[in-house]
Amino acid sequence: MSRRLLLSLVVVAALLLPAVSTLAQNDEFVFGLVFVGPRNDHGWSEAHYTAGRYVEEHIPGARMVFFESLNAADAPETTLEQVVDEMVGEGAQIIFTTSDDFEEDTAAVAEKYPDIIFVSVSGDDVLAGTAPENLSNIMGIMEYGKQIAGCAAALATETGGIGYLGPLINAETRRLAASVYLGARYCYEHYRGLDPDDLTFTVTWIGFWFNIPTVTLDPTEESRRFIDNGADVVISGIDTTEALVVAGQRAAAGEAVWGIPYDYKNACGEAEDICLGVPYFNWGPAYVDMIQAVRNGEYTQVWDWNGPYWDDINDVDRSAVGWVNGNGLTEEHAAQLDEFIAMLAETAPEQITKDNIDEPGQQIGLWVGPLNLQNGTVLAADGEIVPPSAVWYLEQLLEGMTGSSTAE
Amino acid sequence: MHREETGAQQLLKLGIGLAAVVFSLLLTALVILLAEASPIDVFEKIVEGIGFSGQGADILRISGVINFWIPLLLVCTGLLVTFTAGLWNIGVEGQMMMGAIFASYVAQFVFLPPVPQVALEIAAAALGGALWALLAGVLKTRGGVHEIFGGVALNNLASIFSIYLISGPWSNEGGQASPPFRSEALLLPYNNEFKVSLVALALMVVAFIVIFAVLRGTRWGLELKAVGKSQRSALLLGVPTERDALQALAVCGILAGLAGSTRVLFTYGNLRPLVSGGIGFLGLLVVLLTGTRALWVPLISLLFAAVLAGSTRLKIALQLDQSLVGVVQGILVLMIILANGVRGRFFAARQAAADGASAAGKESAHE
Amino acid sequence: MSVEVRNIHKHFGPVHANNDISLRFEDGRIYGILGENGAGKSTLMKILSGFYRIDSGQILVNDRVAHYDTPRGAIQAGIGMLAQDPLDVGAFTVLENFVYGQPGGILPDWEAARRRFSEIEKHLGFELNPELSVEYLSIGQRQELEIIRLLALGVHVLILDEPTTGISAEQKQVLFSSLKRLAHQDGLTILFVSHKLEDVLDLCDEVAVLRLGCLVGTAQMPVTTNDLVAMMFGQELAPASRDDIPFGDIAVEVTDLHMISERVTLRGLGLKVRAGEVIGLAGLEGSGQQLLTRACVGLIKPLGGRIVVAGKELTGRHYRDFLAANVCFGAAGRLEEGLVAGLTLTEHFILADPEQTAWIDRDRGTRLAADRIAHYHIHGQPESSIEMLSGGNQQRVLMALMPPAPVLMVLEHPTRGLDVESARWIWEQILARRRDGTAIIFVSTDLDEIVTYSDRILVFYAGQVTEVPDARRTTVDELGHLIGGHSVLSGEAV
Repeated sequence: MSRRLLLSLVVVAALLLPAVSTLAQNDEFVFGLVFVGPRNDHGWSEAHYTAGRYVEEHIPGARMVFFESLNAADAPETTLEQVVDEMVGEGAQIIFTTSDDFEEDTAAVAEKYPDIIFVSVSGDDVLAGTAPENLSNIMGIMEYGKQIAGCAAALATETGGIGYLGPLINAETRRLAASVYLGARYCYEHYRGLDPDDLTFTVTWIGFWFNIPTVTLDPTEESRRFIDNGADVVISGIDTTEALVVAGQRAAAGEAVWGIPYDYKNACGEAEDICLGVPYFNWGPAYVDMIQAVRNGEYTQVWDWNGPYWDDINDVDRSAVGWVNGNGLTEEHAAQLDEFIAMLAETAPEQITKDNIDEPGQQIGLWVGPLNLQNGTVLAADGEIVPPSAVWYLEQLLEGMTGSSTAE
Repeated sequence: MHREETGAQQLLKLGIGLAAVVFSLLLTALVILLAEASPIDVFEKIVEGIGFSGQGADILRISGVINFWIPLLLVCTGLLVTFTAGLWNIGVEGQMMMGAIFASYVAQFVFLPPVPQVALEIAAAALGGALWALLAGVLKTRGGVHEIFGGVALNNLASIFSIYLISGPWSNEGGQASPPFRSEALLLPYNNEFKVSLVALALMVVAFIVIFAVLRGTRWGLELKAVGKSQRSALLLGVPTERDALQALAVCGILAGLAGSTRVLFTYGNLRPLVSGGIGFLGLLVVLLTGTRALWVPLISLLFAAVLAGSTRLKIALQLDQSLVGVVQGILVLMIILANGVRGRFFAARQAAADGASAAGKESAHE
Repeated sequence: MSVEVRNIHKHFGPVHANNDISLRFEDGRIYGILGENGAGKSTLMKILSGFYRIDSGQILVNDRVAHYDTPRGAIQAGIGMLAQDPLDVGAFTVLENFVYGQPGGILPDWEAARRRFSEIEKHLGFELNPELSVEYLSIGQRQELEIIRLLALGVHVLILDEPTTGISAEQKQVLFSSLKRLAHQDGLTILFVSHKLEDVLDLCDEVAVLRLGCLVGTAQMPVTTNDLVAMMFGQELAPASRDDIPFGDIAVEVTDLHMISERVTLRGLGLKVRAGEVIGLAGLEGSGQQLLTRACVGLIKPLGGRIVVAGKELTGRHYRDFLAANVCFGAAGRLEEGLVAGLTLTEHFILADPEQTAWIDRDRGTRLAADRIAHYHIHGQPESSIEMLSGGNQQRVLMALMPPAPVLMVLEHPTRGLDVESARWIWEQILARRRDGTAIIFVSTDLDEIVTYSDRILVFYAGQVTEVPDARRTTVDELGHLIGGHSVLSGEAV
């Protein structure tokens, strides 16, 4: 090795050393986030990562530790328990596990660390009464965002064909797909003046929240197939953005197609001009609330299903669920969409909790009868509101949708 | 040709190995610097993650390393057998999954007292892995499908099958996994400090010793070696090449199945998609790197388990981009290849001499 | 240009490959370098041509000490060697290979190169198409290209290592006449390495004989074959003697055999071989002999017909069933078919030892190997890797691996590439088994071998099979005619 190179290495090392030994802050509050995917997936995990940064900005001394891509394929050497062990070792006092994949493991580690607060995002342990005291659940009422997405799709479609890229099949994914369908039917009829029964609404489940080569169906391939089969709006229900990317490629090739991504506020960036908009989660406010409560010693167990802040569904400090219009939406359609959103707001409860979920009269937008499940059984009679718990635990897709309701 | 190693040669070998380590550490440091992090910190965190720090050993973290090492070495041990026989058992990943699925079946639907329960699960896992491997073998010997292509297809099939089970007959509403197995059906950790299943650890150790002895000391092991080096010549020497190939695959399948069972019966406690987690492929890499020198396999596999498990700590403590860990792993591979390669090159002269010893007699080599 | 080596020593590990060799080669002469396998001929030539470095000694070129230790350095000193395997590049044309072998700039002068090429080619009497891709050339043509290339590099000492292996008789004549011209007209020094006595007698002006790494003598032509053999082996050799013995029962019976390969078809072949009988299969390679030999050991399943060994029907059975019926087989490509490169001698003997049980008895294996090594005069240790042995020794191992008294022994080219002494020894082993009642079927392209050792001879020509009427009295010339497809007799069962 030349002496100059050696010298410069020594200099670099010397410069770095002070940076290494940063002083620990006294009023530091450490919180942990565990992601199932990469933190820059432009979807579900990135929305949580963004919320973590939001917490750091809004709570002095708050420091995030995170672990990304915790799944059997990307991190076979690590279990949730090991990640939590390390996070607790780093001083974390509250840990958010941000995937339904972690639900059972989170319940197990919550038992192991009774003094640490765990938040299993999208879980129902608390509602089901199986959670220890130090485990809470939060979720956003994305059903609103999905109804808006469905409406936007119905406004834009020229072929009457809408493709929905679903992840795996469970109650959450069924109710979200069904919400899109409800929004689409409504707007096809009320704004387009067309027969909603003419809509072709197809759901394809790829098998997981994101593409795992050879394990899941390839979302890129499935998006193409939607368009090849006559759909001109492709809507993503998965954590990543393949649907929009494919729509963008096809539009660039001259086809009239649009896409709607999911989860993350800036997800339209992948193909701005044909993006109709994106329904997204804004986890920041809920995280701040939880962390403040823990820090102030005021934690109580919650199961919170947080809705939009209807005065401004994109209020970053208040709204749990939002929708941003994309460039693909015409001004006329945007105005109609605003009208639609205002209509949803009229009946909406702001937050559904474990204490009020069974109170009658809580209406989640278009979840009103007459509605039949895919197998023909009645979900709600004409004019009957579907109670939030029935929406949460939706057992089937709705009549009129094409696609499987269960995995067999 | 038999060669005695002098002390000087051994020292030289050691030196070359050390030089390769130093070189790869420098390379890693450079990459980390480019990622705007401190190499010292990174190395420190990895070593801490493995379980060693200024405060002494952390048994829990060491357990994490061992728990990853167990399935990895089981798979590597199996692959030693197939590589010896000249077979590219890419299907090892699917064999792990099948082992996991068979074990999961017993865990969910057979009810026995703990000891026979777990024993039956492990036996089922061995059976599942072996059957899946034999399928690849029969495709090869009877259907003429090369084991690489057959293996890849069977990997996919096993994965699709496990996902079907998880999302269908064995589904657990809400989660993408089978319901958790009851604790009598699980391999349990020794205690809360040393969180390692002694049964699994014993399986690993015994399996390696047995396979090592079998490859060294039995006629079957010698036959595999012959088949691996020249199938045609082995056949002409009277070796039942087809039967041996099938048996080698079956043995590898058994060990891969055992590895798969530790994933579901210990690591996760239920069946999950991709439960094999690429450990089979990592095993292929390890065995290739050792050049099927069996004694190196436990060491190199432990090294990989340590770096991977240690990186959990690294990721959380330094919040580096996760691809950096991949880079560190890549450099590790490079280092081993380098050490092998340099040594090989350095001793090429001696090798040539050995060849030449015959070259004197090899004038007729082209006759 | 004269070349001299003085007191050359070269070791490879424990082997003293060249032991104090001193020789002088004058210009205008052709030297034959003779010796049996492993004598050190190739080592000496590789030293001269820069492939090996000497341990001690001197090389003198035109009486001045030359220092080089690369082939490039040797060529600059004027010494070039034609490798056993010409090192040309298959994808290029003849001319391209010629040009890329020359020093020169990035942009070669193609016209000049073409003129130079055809100039040398004409001078030597070769006929090569410069535009032809090298992969279409025969071994002989590749050698011609290599000679042209070396001469263009200004080589004055030309070394050829076993150049007559694998080339046709015509090509050999062309090669020899061009070498004579190069030496006697142009004054080059030619070193010709061979273990074929007749080639050396044909071509050379002088011979040097090596044995076990030492120079045992030199001789001016003319000398007799027997003198040379005596120098090479320290004694005169006669072919292994073949007694007339009474034949026993039918060992193998082949009836109405039908087989197809890419090149030939066998139709309705029948053959009965009795215990102690030796059947020689003659013919150009690929005329169908191999179909018959491989059918007789179960390596190829015939389309039709029956094969009965010692009264036992084995038609369509696996090779291992034939082994179990005490049939043994020796293929031509020893390291491709028969011996496992990378295994030691001991390991080979263990594999072939029916007494070895599941757990290997290493001591027994080593003892057995040592015993066979001694008995079969194999140059090697029990722990030697098989590929480290010379071809002759590999063939000995192959013989040693065979069971002591097989019913049928099928051999393909049992002595190909072996020197006289080794070949003779191998036949002694084969004939010893014959005396114990083994039936033998062997393939050879060496007509002398066929005539010398066969009780009956089958001639294969494009799948047609003819039995030579009186094998005892036939001659090489007569056999040659039959092999060429002349005067085919009846193709019926024999």
